[in-house]
Amino acid sequence: MLDTTDLTNTKLDRATYETERETVLGTWSTGQNVDFKAGVALQSALPEEKRFSVSLANADAEGRSLLQPRAGVALLREHTDLLNGLSPYCDVLPTTVDAYTRHNRYEEAQKGIDKSRAAGTSLLNGFPPVNHGIDGCRQLVEDLSKPVQVRHGTPDARLMAEITLAAGFTSYEGGGISYNIPYAKKVPLAQSIRHWQYCDRLVGLYEEEGIRINREPFGPLTGTLVPPFVSHVVAILEGLLALEQGVKCITLGYGQAGNMAQDIAALRSLRKLAHHYFLAAGYEDYVLTTVFHQWMGGFPEDEAKATAVICLGAMTAKFARATKIIVKTPHEASGIPTLEANQAGLQATRQMVNMISDQNRMETPEIAEEVEIIEAEVHAVMRKILKLGNGDIARGAVLAFESGVMDVPFAPAAANAGKLTPVRDNYGAIRVFDQGEVPLPKDVVAFHQEKIRERSKAEGREASFSMVVDDVNAISSSKLIGRPTAS
Amino acid sequence: MLNELAEFKVVLGVIGADCHAVGNKIIASVLGPKGIEVENLGVMVSQDEFITAAIENGADAILVSSIYGHGEIDCQDFRTRCIQRGIGDIILYVGGNLVIGKRDFASVEAQFKEMGFDRVFKPSVSLDEVATLLKDDIRAKRPASYGHNSSAAWVPSLHYTLAQ
Repeated sequence: MLDTTDLTNTKLDRATYETERETVLGTWSTGQNVDFKAGVALQSALPEEKRFSVSLANADAEGRSLLQPRAGVALLREHTDLLNGLSPYCDVLPTTVDAYTRHNRYEEAQKGIDKSRAAGTSLLNGFPPVNHGIDGCRQLVEDLSKPVQVRHGTPDARLMAEITLAAGFTSYEGGGISYNIPYAKKVPLAQSIRHWQYCDRLVGLYEEEGIRINREPFGPLTGTLVPPFVSHVVAILEGLLALEQGVKCITLGYGQAGNMAQDIAALRSLRKLAHHYFLAAGYEDYVLTTVFHQWMGGFPEDEAKATAVICLGAMTAKFARATKIIVKTPHEASGIPTLEANQAGLQATRQMVNMISDQNRMETPEIAEEVEIIEAEVHAVMRKILKLGNGDIARGAVLAFESGVMDVPFAPAAANAGKLTPVRDNYGAIRVFDQGEVPLPKDVVAFHQEKIRERSKAEGREASFSMVVDDVNAISSSKLIGRPTAS
Repeated sequence: MLNELAEFKVVLGVIGADCHAVGNKIIASVLGPKGIEVENLGVMVSQDEFITAAIENGADAILVSSIYGHGEIDCQDFRTRCIQRGIGDIILYVGGNLVIGKRDFASVEAQFKEMGFDRVFKPSVSLDEVATLLKDDIRAKRPASYGHNSSAAWVPSLHYTLAQ
């Protein structure tokens, strides 16, 4: 299998891509019907209102925030109905892919389709685009009136990319790091990065034909107490990897952590830092936008309480001027939402966004301080990654995860060290409790430690893993910070 | 590998293609200090991997988590598989968001008990409660002799009695 030494951040040449493509298209029967030229023709014929890149560019120019739900069911007709039911309430559409497809288990996805047909209800947690193939996906795009994106969690998403892009999807979520570390157990990082270079190269080939496909690295990672610098570094690395393969339209993401100052600072710094690294690497011809994910951790069961969590995310996202907001639903604690619950989440978000959009830009000393901290952290880690890879970020990324220089809290992947431990401070911002092997500057570490001490003092207990567990459970228990309960 | 002398031994994991790791890590971190030895298989565990680990470790129970909605498919015939592999009377717990969508919990519980699970939990269940039930269920299954799986925790109190 692929070794770190074989991996470089260089554009795949056409011959390599074509040879690999033969194999990829042969991994499931529906691959045989993929035709790049037909895909280009279909994409060229799409009206502007179905192009993701156009919606993003317009929203960015006008200072609007696009709303996007998550949604996917097993069968084509039901999935089309679901998306058309959501369409009046949102700006851009998703197709959330089922978990079997995410692991290339197409036979199990087929069983799920068959059982869903028999049961008269979806037994899959998403739409299986590979099984439905080009014809099914094309029919879907044709029956919708807004741009639609593939949203998933797939370490090897090459076949899915070939099928969905040739069928008229205009945006593709994911990346070699963000769709491995939080989404897989045993996939080598070098392998998933290489497989995503293929996906990015495919997007680059469409770009060369004048077809702009939006790419969105997955921002929130594990969605659980992830310090902003961690997800920012992944976003920047995946942005750079995509640019090298010829991608021009990139949306970088961040998942709400809960403290407003830290969240606003995070989204603002993400844009600035990304431009810094993209320009420094010599890329100038690209369009960058941002996406804010409403809280990705555990939700309260009570639907009114869940709606409050959704609204905090909506408010923060709008103050941070996100180009797009990914919207949760009041059913989040119970899993897959109904159409009505999904509409309710969008409506609550819309109301909040409308009320915030005309208000002044939020500037506070706390936001400024958080921006400074995040920038210092990102620069320190990026410097080390570049050093590890001898200037090559693909190799640097793999070596950084191997050595714990990059470390995502609560991730399932064996490729992740899992030593970095976060905890909330006395105001709910996420701080670094144990830095593991992450090379943070000394003054930054001291800042985190001081903030954690402040909370310890307020709660009369030492910071420990049990405090971290309390924090993980806090929002679903109707709080932000996991304070000790009086006993 | 689990400590052979441990009084309570369980295998823990997230079934199927589910990669949700947070709850899994938290369950392991809570049960351990309560005297329950946990062999944590992590995420994306197949029925046979659960059963093999239970056999190899002589576990008293298998704790299955599923939060992504495919539990209904992934857990099908779990008890039957245990019987086929010779551990038909092992304690089986399952918890999480086990089906697609917001469904009445009583019907979900009935469905999974029908599949052979001894207890079925919502994601919001208190882990203290699970630990207590688990110990009670394991003790209840044990023969009343000293021979079976004599516990490390129990030995010192025996010495104490003898010393009187």
